[in-house]
This record gives sequence, structure tokens and C-alpha cells, in this order.
Amino acid sequence: MPFSITAPAAQPPIAYNDASDSDSADSEGDIDMAPPAKRHKLSTKSIVTPGEMVTDDPQWMRGHGTYTSPTTTAILSSVSGTLLKTNKLLSISPLRARYTPEIGDLVVGRIVEVQTKRWKVDLSAPLLAHLPLSAINLPGGILRKRTSTDELAIRSFFSEGDLLVAEVQSIYQDGAASLHTRSLKYGKLRNGVFLAVSGTGGGGGGVVRARRQVWTVHTGNGGGEVDVVLGVNGYIWICKHSGSEMVEGKGGAQVSITRIEEVVGESMYSNRNDDIGPATRKEIARLAGVVRALVEYGVRVDEEMVMRGYEASLEGEDMEDEGGESGEYLGGERGKKVVARALEAVNAT
Amino acid sequence: MPPTIPPLLSPSELSYLHTSLSLTPPIRPDARSPTSFRPLVAETDLLPAANGSARLCFADGTEAIVGVKGEVEKTTNTTTTGGRSGGKGGGKGGGIDVIDMDVDEVEEVGSGGEGRWIEVSVDMPGQRDDDAMVVFLGEMIHEGLVADQFLQNRLVINNRWHWRLYIDILLLSPPLTYPLPLLSLTTHLALLSTHLPAPVQGLEKDDDPLFNDDWDAAVPLYPPSTPTNPPNPTSNTNSNKKPTTARPPITLLVISIGSNIFFDPSHAELAVADSVVAVTIASSSSSSSNEAEDLSLLAVRTIDPPSRLSSSSSTTDADAGREEEEGVWKAKKGGVRRDVLGRMIGMCTERGGVGAEVLSGLEGFT
Repeated sequence: MPFSITAPAAQPPIAYNDASDSDSADSEGDIDMAPPAKRHKLSTKSIVTPGEMVTDDPQWMRGHGTYTSPTTTAILSSVSGTLLKTNKLLSISPLRARYTPEIGDLVVGRIVEVQTKRWKVDLSAPLLAHLPLSAINLPGGILRKRTSTDELAIRSFFSEGDLLVAEVQSIYQDGAASLHTRSLKYGKLRNGVFLAVSGTGGGGGGVVRARRQVWTVHTGNGGGEVDVVLGVNGYIWICKHSGSEMVEGKGGAQVSITRIEEVVGESMYSNRNDDIGPATRKEIARLAGVVRALVEYGVRVDEEMVMRGYEASLEGEDMEDEGGESGEYLGGERGKKVVARALEAVNAT
Repeated sequence: MPPTIPPLLSPSELSYLHTSLSLTPPIRPDARSPTSFRPLVAETDLLPAANGSARLCFADGTEAIVGVKGEVEKTTNTTTTGGRSGGKGGGKGGGIDVIDMDVDEVEEVGSGGEGRWIEVSVDMPGQRDDDAMVVFLGEMIHEGLVADQFLQNRLVINNRWHWRLYIDILLLSPPLTYPLPLLSLTTHLALLSTHLPAPVQGLEKDDDPLFNDDWDAAVPLYPPSTPTNPPNPTSNTNSNKKPTTARPPITLLVISIGSNIFFDPSHAELAVADSVVAVTIASSSSSSSNEAEDLSLLAVRTIDPPSRLSSSSSTTDADAGREEEEGVWKAKKGGVRRDVLGRMIGMCTERGGVGAEVLSGLEGFT
């Protein structure tokens, strides 16, 4: 439908923190405090807001998302979210949270600042991450030491706005991440589109840590192969698959570490896109639409869901369409249908 | 209009988007067709203390609330009949022929309304009230409302009294893109839902006005179109019915990339637009020329496209010398081509075009 306008729908019911497991006798045989002990009260609402008193009973321990004031024993919430009880530990799992980096995470980031020896990278984490010049593959050989020439030419590798895929190498004391791209899997991103969804940490839909964060889709409708990179931080990159050509051009399927310098050429940091056919672009747009629909309806985004959703959207191609809208657009009702089908497919297996 | 801060996009993203959008047929990043809008969410009559109100959410998360409040005010007799009937276009809408639609007390009233009876104030988060952008936006909306004399003349009660209309526009979210389309669509919905108390029948033209305190009897500010002409985009084009009555204007954001034209651009599409144009249209109130059902064009504003501010790709040295290159982002220089601009306006105003569709969609909602 070219122009549609709807009344606001009721919010989807927030996952009620079902106390069924914790209300009954817990591991120590204690009865949980659902039947209210005389004075002490535990917030029974499904959602707590910052500053709200969760309980004033001293028997509880405070966990993540809570704080106490020194004068009282009351536990207050520091975030808005749902209450979690683990034995005697109270924690609040936030409804929405920024990404918290962990070592080994595959992330997609965007350069926001260039300094003399490092870049600052936006990961949608509370703090900007660092990417030191020494942690990237310098052109002309992997085991080369960085020189002052490289420092001067730092903008020729990455400049402001550039997207890259990297791995979290270490975490600083303050929680900021330090990244590295010292692998052929990592580096500058080209030939595709970027999507930002909510990452690990918040409730609802978003990217979850999974076995595979990067995979290649064999698309329908003659779209060829398309790579999907799900950054754990919720940044997603969908692009034309091009890795194979690069390796084939060098005459081998596997690049050994001794020959890596032949691959890491000038082209690694180029901003030029390859030639991408309309069919591929269409399928990239479709994949992006699937991811958006999944997020909109609060479904987790991982390889399985994206693939099921993609298949569902291909099947849905011939779904009856009222407004003559091109079949790929997954907004509104169509997106809902695709997500429902994908969920069915996942639950069936 | 100060250009909005361009979203930070990498040169390869910009190049990918620009190439996709200049293909024929174009491929938008979310696979929409060029003229389709993302689904909007709206509600009307949500403020109990206002005469009319609306809330509208765009798909990119921007949201606005508009409240319309009417107040009875004494008409100062600075203007006499036919003297200066308020702003431009005074000749066309002078009183009788417009007012006789259904406010029955004012047949004899000679003077038209005045533009300053309508007060528009815009409030944006993080902006001062006297910020140039805020004032400018308010003026642009006001200008559209008073362009045809319909609204002012609706506000006349009798020779001595008139309504003063306060339109308060509140942008709830930080403006991600150019906010005028959102504000004007919300204002449109709010005005359509506005009801003013009905005057008690049988008053002389100089009497103090008395109003029926039954809200169910209140008259809509913009009378709904006759049921013989249902808001149906398909029948509008080929049916030969009378044009509907006046409607508040709307502003649509249109961008062009290459020779393609897109409506309701997302921020990524705006970032690579060759030209950005805000087109203000209204259905004309002059029922005299009932053959011309085209929408009337009130204003066309060009907006500085954010792509101008993006750096042309700083590629590696090998690419530096060459001019036009496939797959490399280069901000477009120069203006809009005449035929492209003409087509943009045509798509907004033509019969059964996008503008008509949006107007009927908005009316169908209320």
C-alpha cells in the first residue's frame, strides 16, 4: 500500500517475569516471599523503573541493575526492566541496554575519530572502542612493524565514517574495548548496506551471541551469494560475497599465513565498490528487510531466524498483495506474516 | 534552513546506496517502491482540553503532537468591509461566497478573516523558542494555512467576534531528518479533528455570541467531505464529482537521485540525495472551477542536500586522478534539472498522484 496510516496498536505484552519457578520452594527449600511477609514488600509489578524500591527486606542480596542507599536496607532499581530472582539474589534485566563488550566478540563498528596512533570506533557501547594502528593488517605484509609513514597515512586505512568488522581483543579497566583486525576475516566493509539494531544486552529482539555470526547466503532470484555479518553489538552488515574471487585470483582456496602479504594489498583499504548487479542488490534489500521485520516484532536475530525469515519472504513473494507494492518490501503486515512464518518454521524443527 | 547534520556514512555505503537508487527501476534499501510511504501511526483527539489534537509517528521514530485550541476574541474594527481582508489573495475569498457553506449566522458578514487570528507555535526539544529554525518552521506552516482564505473566514463568528486559533506543535523526538513533513501532516490531522462549539441559532450579526454547550453539536472546523465523495484514491481520478472542500495543506519531502524521484526518504536515502525538495500542496477551495481537481501547489522549497557535506571518497592514491568512476562515492555538484523538478511537482499535485493519495489517506483516517 503506497500510503497507509494506522492507529497505534497496544504495546505487546511485556514478558511477565513469571515467578512460577522462584515462587515455589527454591533449591534450599526456602519458600519464596510471594505471600507477603508482614512489613516487607517486594515489588510485584512486572516492570520496575529507576529509583523504584524493589524490596526493603534485608534478606535479599542486590545484583545487577540495583543499588542501595547507605542508610536503609532497601534495594532500589537503577534501570528500568524486569525483576529477576536467583535464590536470594535480586537483579534487574534491563528492557534496553547498550552493548557490553566481551573479549572475542565479533563486532561491526564505525570509525568516529582518528587520532595519531589509533582510531576511536563506535560500537554502540557506553564508551568508544579503540583500534590501535598496531592492531590492523598493514598493507604489504602482515608481520611488518608499523612505521611513522603509516602513522602519517592513518586516514588512508580508515577515516571517519568507515565501517569495519573486528574482534574485541581486550577490555580496559573502564569497560572500553580494544579491537583488532589482524585476520583476513576482518577489515573494512564494502559492497553492502548497514543496519543498526539492538545488540546483546537488552531484552526483546536483537542480535544474540551465536555460534556463527558471519555466513554466506545463497540467495534466490539469481542474486548470487550474499554475506551477512551480525555484529554482537547489534550492527549488521549485508554485502555481496566477494571473498572467493580475491582468493581465487591468487590461485588458491586457502591463504596461508606466509602468503598473506600478497592478499593484503592496497585494495584492502579501498573505498571502491565492486560491480553489483540489480538482482544482488534486490536480495540484499530483502535480507535487510527480513532483519528489520525480525527486530520490529521482537524476535532474536541470528543465523537461523534470518535464514528462515528469508525463505519465508521468498515464499511470500506470491502472497496476495493489495496495493501493488513490490514484493520485497517487508513493512507493516507483510513483515508480520514473514516473521510469523519464520517462527513457525523454527518451532517446527 | 540550516542543513541537518549528515549521518555519518562510509563512502562505500554512500556509493552503494547512490548506485542502487539511480538504477531503473531503482532499488531502495528497504525495497519499497519509489512512491510508497512507510506505515505511519497516528491518533487524533487525544488531548481532552484542546479543540482538536493529533499525534503522528513516522516510521523512523520521529513523533509529533499538535493541539489546536480556539478562543473567542473581539474583532477590532481596524478593517472595514472589503478594506483589507487579510494578507494575500484577499480578492478571491472575500466573505460571502465561502462562508455560506454551513455557518448560517454569518451570511451578511462582509469582512473576511485575518491571518493573524491563527497562531502557530513550534516547540522542538533542545531548541530555544526564538531559534531561527523553530520560528521559520512555524511561519512556513502558518503561511500554508492562510494561503487560501478558507480557514480565516471560518473563524469569523459575526461582525464583532471571531475565533482565535492557537496551534501548538510539539516535536517529541529530536529531528532526525527535515521535520516539516511530520509537523505539517500532524497539523493537518489535528485541524481535521478540530471542532468548535456551535453558535446558538438566531443571533443577530452584532450580538455577543452564545454557544451551544453540547459538544456533540460542535461543528468541525473543516467540514467533512460529502458522503457522495468517499475518500477513495481510485475513484477520485475518474469520477466527475465536485471537488471536496478545502483541506489544510500538507508538505511532502521529495528527493531525486539521478532521474529517479522518491517519496518519504529514509535518512540513508536523504544522505545520498542529489536534491531535496519540500513541496507544500493543498486541495484548492475554489469550487468554481470544478473541472480542475488538481491540487494546488503552495510552495516548493529546496533544501540543502546532506550529500553536499559528505567528503568525496578519499580513496587510495591509485584512484585519485580519475574523474568519474564506478563504485566510488562522489558528491554531486550542481542543481536540480528542470524536468526532474517539474516531474517532482507533477507527481505531488496531479490528479490521483501521490499528494491526492496522501490527502485521502489522512482524511480516511480521521
